[in-house]
Amino acid sequence: MNHLKELVFRLCSAPGTPGDENGAAETAAEELSKYAKVRIDKMGNVVAKLGKKDAKNHIMLDAHIDQIGLIVTNIDENGFIRVERTGGVDRRVLPGSPVKIYGREVLNGIVCSTPPHLSVGGEDKVMPIDEMAVDAGLTREQAEKLICPGDRIVFNTKPRSLLGTRISAAALDDRAGVASLIRCVELLKDTKLNCELSILCSSREEVGSQGAVTGAYQIKPTEAIIIDVSFAKQPNVPPEKCGKLGGGPMIGIAPALDRSMTDKLIKTAEKNNITYKLDVMGNSTGTNSDEIAMSRKGVKSALISIPLRYMHTPVEVIDLADVESTAKLMAEYIKGVE
Amino acid sequence: MADLKLLEKLCIARGISGNEDEVRDIILGEIKSYADSIEISPLGNIIAFKKGKNRPKTKLMLNAHMDEVGLIVTHITEDGLLKFTEVGGIDRRVLCGKPVTVGSKIEGVIGAKPIHLLKDEEKENSVPVKDLYIDIGAVDKEEASKYVSPGDSVTFDSIFDTSYGMIKSRALDDRAGCAVLINMIKSDLKYDMTFVFAVQEEIGLRGSKTAAFAVEPKAAIVVESTTAADVANVKKENQVCKLGSGAAVSFMDRRTIYDKKYYSMAFEAAKQINVKCQPKLAVAGGNDAGAIHISRSGVRTIAVSLPCRYLHSAVGMISQADFACVNKLVLKLAEMISGEEQND
Repeated sequence: MNHLKELVFRLCSAPGTPGDENGAAETAAEELSKYAKVRIDKMGNVVAKLGKKDAKNHIMLDAHIDQIGLIVTNIDENGFIRVERTGGVDRRVLPGSPVKIYGREVLNGIVCSTPPHLSVGGEDKVMPIDEMAVDAGLTREQAEKLICPGDRIVFNTKPRSLLGTRISAAALDDRAGVASLIRCVELLKDTKLNCELSILCSSREEVGSQGAVTGAYQIKPTEAIIIDVSFAKQPNVPPEKCGKLGGGPMIGIAPALDRSMTDKLIKTAEKNNITYKLDVMGNSTGTNSDEIAMSRKGVKSALISIPLRYMHTPVEVIDLADVESTAKLMAEYIKGVE
Repeated sequence: MADLKLLEKLCIARGISGNEDEVRDIILGEIKSYADSIEISPLGNIIAFKKGKNRPKTKLMLNAHMDEVGLIVTHITEDGLLKFTEVGGIDRRVLCGKPVTVGSKIEGVIGAKPIHLLKDEEKENSVPVKDLYIDIGAVDKEEASKYVSPGDSVTFDSIFDTSYGMIKSRALDDRAGCAVLINMIKSDLKYDMTFVFAVQEEIGLRGSKTAAFAVEPKAAIVVESTTAADVANVKKENQVCKLGSGAAVSFMDRRTIYDKKYYSMAFEAAKQINVKCQPKLAVAGGNDAGAIHISRSGVRTIAVSLPCRYLHSAVGMISQADFACVNKLVLKLAEMISGEEQND
């Protein structure tokens, strides 16, 4: 598990906000290139190719490489950096958070927290994003030399080990998924595949899945498995919406997913003693599968989710055992494809 | 330039109110070969005496506090999550989504309900402390209980960064003040002085109250970190004090009306040694002066503070130039107070 932990920590330490995934993409590409031919395309997607070229079945595995973050909109007269969100950053966790600003150099910043007696609504209210700012401790002149509108900002939390095989980091959504793809390819390295296999670490999921749209188009798979994260059991969250940390992959069932693939995943899990949970949704899934399934003339798609607590905060939590069993489930599934 | 390595060592140390041991050990290690006598008081204050070239005309005590704000574990849930309460005044808006350390080494995080499942009004309101908890990755209560127990201290984990003339760190309040006093003890003093590194400031000035009684000084200088509200969206008139404008000197706060003569003397001292000094422009907050100035029959007291943004959160910010100013000003002011006869 230490090997897997190192991989996840490396992936989570590399920056990659939507449209600027390069840091994380290069880290993923470096790992995948041990086992496959890899390239990073013009949309920032990482694409790796394996298996039997032009086989009847062409499976695409997708996990998104981007993470939520902030983007610099301007620098105000006092040198404070004004920002907008890229993806669904939870504003409640921003005040007083240490962040990293990727300007001309990497700078340490703090999201301003105004003293309670000077804040509208005191300690109760969360400020709108246009009233928030990042403080790098710079004058306006210094800031303008080092930081430009469009520069990216991410939470500055080092990945950390919790008890057992649980870990916490920012960007586990969806670097945990990316790690499971890399681990899956590693598990398949000595297997002769009868199908063609493409790995897509897609860009821009958090702002509308543009990477998955263009990635699926160019890869032209016959079927796709999408790996994302979903809610793990935690206080104040309805249990019916949740998987469980350490409870194994959550296999998605939804009208927008292909039921025969889902059934095959369930059988594969049972045959290989992989604990899993069914994750039933009423319509589409809110993940890349929604777009990938509609690529070209349509792609049969399945969804596997890794349970995760505190989604879209600087301290997302997963259990590495779930990443490992997700990788194993995919690997066994692929071995069974003719 | 002031000793930033020492400050880093002090800031990285963990020591919420009532559990200052780690900080105290570092300070004792630093001062033991420089102080003439060191006493640990019953509540845990360090009282260090250092002889100077001359005997003082006014007996002076310098004070900085060792403790920091933090959290304390109150309960372990069946799911192995830790409920907690605040130690000292923490703005609850800065708790959610932060990494923390429980005790000396168990890593944990303060989680939040995923934004995807929030109702609109939940997105606009900060999470009450009663709904927050720390996750250390335990599967259940039994596993958690092997590693932590109610009463364990909790501190934030963040950064220590000294780029571009600033210092960004946890616990600058008041390890920066401790560093100033340590630097003084290590220097040659003009007069005998007593230095107090106080416990339990953040929960009601409890260490300094007892230390002042023990020391029985005629005058006191409190070296603190105080709110600088010169941040985005705060009007100029509400900024209290500003980073880069030098040491902040208080005339009044919620606990103390400061000695008028010493207040003017502080500005005079700054002028004499040519360091920047600013008045703290608000009657807000409070510090150990509140307990010290009413000790026994009263003690003439002044506070010299480092302007600090984001006080009482995971990461505060001070200016290195201000830190240097405070180091110089406190030394000068201490000499002036010690060398002047006091009528009463």
